Parts: sequence; structure tokens; C-alpha cells
Amino acid sequence: MKKRIISISIYVLPLPLILASLFIGPSQSATPEAIFRAIFYDTGNVSLIHSVLLDVRLPRILLTFLVGGSLAISGCSFQAIFRNPLTDSYILGLSSGAAFGAALALAYSFLPVQLSAFLFGLLAVGLSYYMARKNKNVSIVSLILAGIIVSGIFTALLTIVQFFSDPFRLQSIVHWTMGNLHNASWEKLESSVIPITAGVFILFIFRWRLNVLALGDDEARTVGINPERDQLIVLIAATLASSSAVAAAGIIGLYGLIVPHIVRMLNGPDNRQSIPLNFLFGGAFLLIIDDISRTIAGFELPIGVFTMLIGAPFFIFLMKKTNIGWNS
Amino acid sequence: MPCFQSCRHSEDRSDKPATYIEVIDFRGREINLDKPATRIICLIESALSGIYMLKAGDNVIGVPSEIYNGPTAEQYALLDDRIRDKKLPSPGNWDFVSIENIVALQPDLVIIWASQTESIASIESHGIPVYAVFLKSFTDIYKEIKDFGLLTGTSQRADSLIKYTEDEIIKLESAPQSSVVKKSSVYFIWPQGLLETAGTTSTVNDLIELAGAKNCCPIPQEHAVINKENLLDWNPDIIVMWFNALQNPDDIIASTDLKYLNAVRNMQVYELPSAFLCDMWTLKFAYTTKLLAKWCYPSAYADLNTDEEKRKMLFELYGEKGGNLLK
Repeated sequence: MKKRIISISIYVLPLPLILASLFIGPSQSATPEAIFRAIFYDTGNVSLIHSVLLDVRLPRILLTFLVGGSLAISGCSFQAIFRNPLTDSYILGLSSGAAFGAALALAYSFLPVQLSAFLFGLLAVGLSYYMARKNKNVSIVSLILAGIIVSGIFTALLTIVQFFSDPFRLQSIVHWTMGNLHNASWEKLESSVIPITAGVFILFIFRWRLNVLALGDDEARTVGINPERDQLIVLIAATLASSSAVAAAGIIGLYGLIVPHIVRMLNGPDNRQSIPLNFLFGGAFLLIIDDISRTIAGFELPIGVFTMLIGAPFFIFLMKKTNIGWNS
Repeated sequence: MPCFQSCRHSEDRSDKPATYIEVIDFRGREINLDKPATRIICLIESALSGIYMLKAGDNVIGVPSEIYNGPTAEQYALLDDRIRDKKLPSPGNWDFVSIENIVALQPDLVIIWASQTESIASIESHGIPVYAVFLKSFTDIYKEIKDFGLLTGTSQRADSLIKYTEDEIIKLESAPQSSVVKKSSVYFIWPQGLLETAGTTSTVNDLIELAGAKNCCPIPQEHAVINKENLLDWNPDIIVMWFNALQNPDDIIASTDLKYLNAVRNMQVYELPSAFLCDMWTLKFAYTTKLLAKWCYPSAYADLNTDEEKRKMLFELYGEKGGNLLK
């Protein structure tokens, strides 16, 4: 019963949260009172309030929700197919590849930053998969090891780009790698929404197969599932969603690891339910964190700082309160 | 005027050679040379500019690596044939330093940022004198040039450069804008992005105030990352971009989410024309201030010809080589 209430709350939460977030921000001109006056009495600085709400807050809120949701759902899928609770969406070198792509674009302006981050993120995951593939088989251990190696290679390449960058560009690279939602815009949202939606949709379709894949390859085969093919499809979909999120918002560390665990603690391990719940909870939780970060200071701090400062204590709290057998 | 009592020739000391030089750097550390430096490694781009202004460029044997690939590479190639031909070694920059390369070059002075503490300790452990720089204000820029004058035996030239710059600033301060009641508010954009600006404890803030305007960002930081809502609230009259290879004023004017800003509505968005010409950590800050003053108060500075000012500034600061920089 308790789980059902939590589950329903997570389904219901996003819409009111998105609406409430529209009233939160540092602007002294677009306070909740000024927004109400502008909407109902058409008084005050209506054009400015209109711009703050629709051009600044709304794209940021929607992008934050999509980014949080896609990182969480990807992390959950990776944990299922790798049968490893310590993996996240960055395990196959995605974040290092994307960071290198972004750094290259910031330093040499040869491609738009978002596109370059996206392409190099995909390239890193593709390389990991290619390196792990042997005799048409891909073992989970080889894949994770290959991911660590590829991640190391791209981190080294990133260091080289940083070495040759001037102070201004180096600072841009560092800011990008710390996660940045303050640059959200309709353009960024438009370029992210299709790949994220496509990836999330495929993962949603495959949610029940994740339960079978999580049991192991032999068990999957006994119920007529081709584990290699399904793992590859899930891998591609999760990578598509998370690389688009990283390309739009930079690297938000450990979010794809923490949120699936939180959802599992709240609702249990069944992927049929936790896949949609991860997307909704991941989006809503990142939005709450961003709302706090937008109001706590007069200037912007990287979102990655807040996800750890707020998400980690919440995670520890849940871990202490629930008993899911990690200590055994 | 800054106080330079700590920096002096000490001819009065009988046990020291007549050419003995004693200077206190920005760490408060004393640097002693028996004679003016003739083998200088300078790992700071703005400081290197100062050395060329002092006409001591021939004494430079090592330069920062960004001189060859940064936004000022073209200008330094015009100032020094060795840089043009890529013959001057670059043993480091503001971040990374090759101690082995520095030691091998056998310098008699290394100029480096004061924040590079580990590199400084390593260089000094080899007995090489290090002058560490940390610039917080325009007064610091005067001190730096004065000290470089002493260290390179070009004190007279340093004094004349400082006097020229101070006179230019005095002229600007006595100009008509000083009587303007409502000051123009300025939003400054660093090249990292639209929302990266200079706060009230920055050199840019000093520059804006020197131009008779007001920095619209009230955050007490050197470099502040702000929310777009802040920018809309501040509604600046003028937007000034640091030299930026990725964006130009038209991009700002065309962006729909900034269309309510006074600066965008009135098309008062400007870009500083060159990272070299507008380097505000050198004596060229006077020229940048003039540009800013003209953009903020166009009618008060109607007679100010910025092209002519640029020409004069380059000749005053770089001598005949300044002509090359105009090409």
C-alpha cells in the first residue's frame, strides 16, 4: 500500500512541480506576486515577466526535467543489463568522450559544442563496445573494462586539450564539465528532445525484458529472449538518451547512479515499474535541486555541486531507513 | 600615484656593485640582481607586452606558449622577428611550466604569476631569481612597469610610459561625461559565455568606473556566473563583450530572449576589437577606457577619434614597432 502511494506520488509530482518552478527564480521583477498581477490584471512589467517566464524559466525547467529523467532511466537500464549496482550512464566512457568533444569544440570552434559532445560521447561508447566484442560475443566484464580504458583515453585527450587552451577557454571547459543548466534555451531543448524521447521510449518498451536480462544470459535464453541483441538495443537507447542529456547540460556526476537506487529503495527492484518511475523521479528530483540552486545564491553554481550536496544526504538517509540487503 | 619606495637602485650601499638592483615583487619577496637582466623568461603574456613597451624585448629568451597560438599571436609576431619565426622557446605558460627547459635556458630572471607557487619554488631552488606578478588594480600595473624598468635597466622609459598613461587618464576624467547625472549601466561579457561577467571586485569594474559608467553586476566577485533573469532585471544600457571568436554583437542583438534589454533595443552592444589592443592588464587599459567612455557617452565624446587614439597609443607604448601593429 505504502509503495503504491509512493508510486502514485511520483507519477503525479512532475506537473505541479513544473508549474511551481515557474514561480521560482532570482528575478526581483518576476516574483510570484508580480506574475499573478501580470496574468490576472495585466499590470506591472508584463513584457519582462513574459520573457522571464517563457524565455528563461520554462526552457530551463523542461530541459532540467528531461536531463534528470534521461540520466536516471539510463542509469537504471545500465544497472539492469550489467547486473551491477555500481554502474551508471557514464560507465562506458560516455562522460569522458563527451567532455573531450565539448573541450575540442570550445578550444577550436570546429563544431557546435553540444553536437561535438554528443558525437564524441557516442564514439566513446561505440569504442568500448567494439573493444569488448570478441567472437561475436560481448561479455559484461569485458565491456565494463573496455569502458574504463576508453574513459581513461578520453580523459588523457581532454588533458591535452586543456594543456593547450588559453585561460578563458580552459575555464569554459572546466565549467562545462561541472554541469551547466543556466545556459538552457529553447534551441538546446529542441536539439535534445528528439534523441532523449527516442531513447526513453525504447527503454520503456524494453522495461519488462530488463527484468529477464537482469537474471543472466542463460535465464534469458530459456524464456526465448536473445540477450546479446536485447542488451545491445538497451545499450544504444540508454546511450542515446544520456549522451543527449550530457551534451545539453554537461556532466552531472553520479546522478545516474544515485537516482535508480533511490527509486529502488522507494518502490522495489521491478524494472517494469522502476523504468517510468526513474524517468519521472529523476526529472522531478533534478528540478527540485535546480530550483534550490536558482534561489540560494545571486549567482550560478554548477548543478553538479548541488546534486551531490542535496542528493547524497538524501540517498544516505534512505539507505539507513530501508533494508534492502546490501550489508549481507 | 603608487608608492615605489620599496623598489630602488641601491647605489648607496658600498658593498654592492653600482648596478645593483633591489625590487620587491607582488609576493612581497625581495629580488636582487647585480646588473639589469639580459636573459629574461617571461611566462605572462601581459607582462611580456610591458617588456616590449620598455624596449627590452631583445633580452627576452623565453615566452609563454600562448604567444604562438593564442589570440595575440599575430601582434607578437609583428613585434619580434624571433616570435614570427617561432625561434623563441616557450618553456611554459600561466598554468604549466617545464622546469628543465627553464634551467637549460639559463635565465637571469623569470617572470611568472604569483599563483604558480610550486613552479616558483622549483625555479628558485635552482638559484634563478623569480619576479612574481599578481595584478588587482591599475596601480599594480604601474608598479609592475616600474619594477620591470628597474630590473631591465630601463627606468627612464618606464617613468615616461607611466606618465603618458596617467596623463591620458587625467584627460579622460576631466572630460564632459564627469558631469553626467545618470551614469550608463554596463554589462560586461567574458568570452566563456553570455552569463559570465565581471563583478564589483574586478579590473573590468575599475575600467567601467574610470569610463564614468556603472557596472550593472553588483556581485562582489572577480568573475561571476549569473542567471539570465539577473541580466533581465539589471537591464543594462550598454553591453560590452571581451574579444570573442565565437560570438559577436549581432548574435546578442538577434537573441529573442534578450530583446527587452535597453542595450539590445537600442543596439548598444559592442565588442572590444582585439585581445592585444584592449589588454586591461597592461598600460593599454587607457585605450580600452576611452573606447568604453565613447560607447557610453557618444555625444560627450563626439570629438574622440578612436582610430587616432589607437595609433597614438601604439606609437607611445611600442615606439616605431607600434607602426607594425597598425598594419
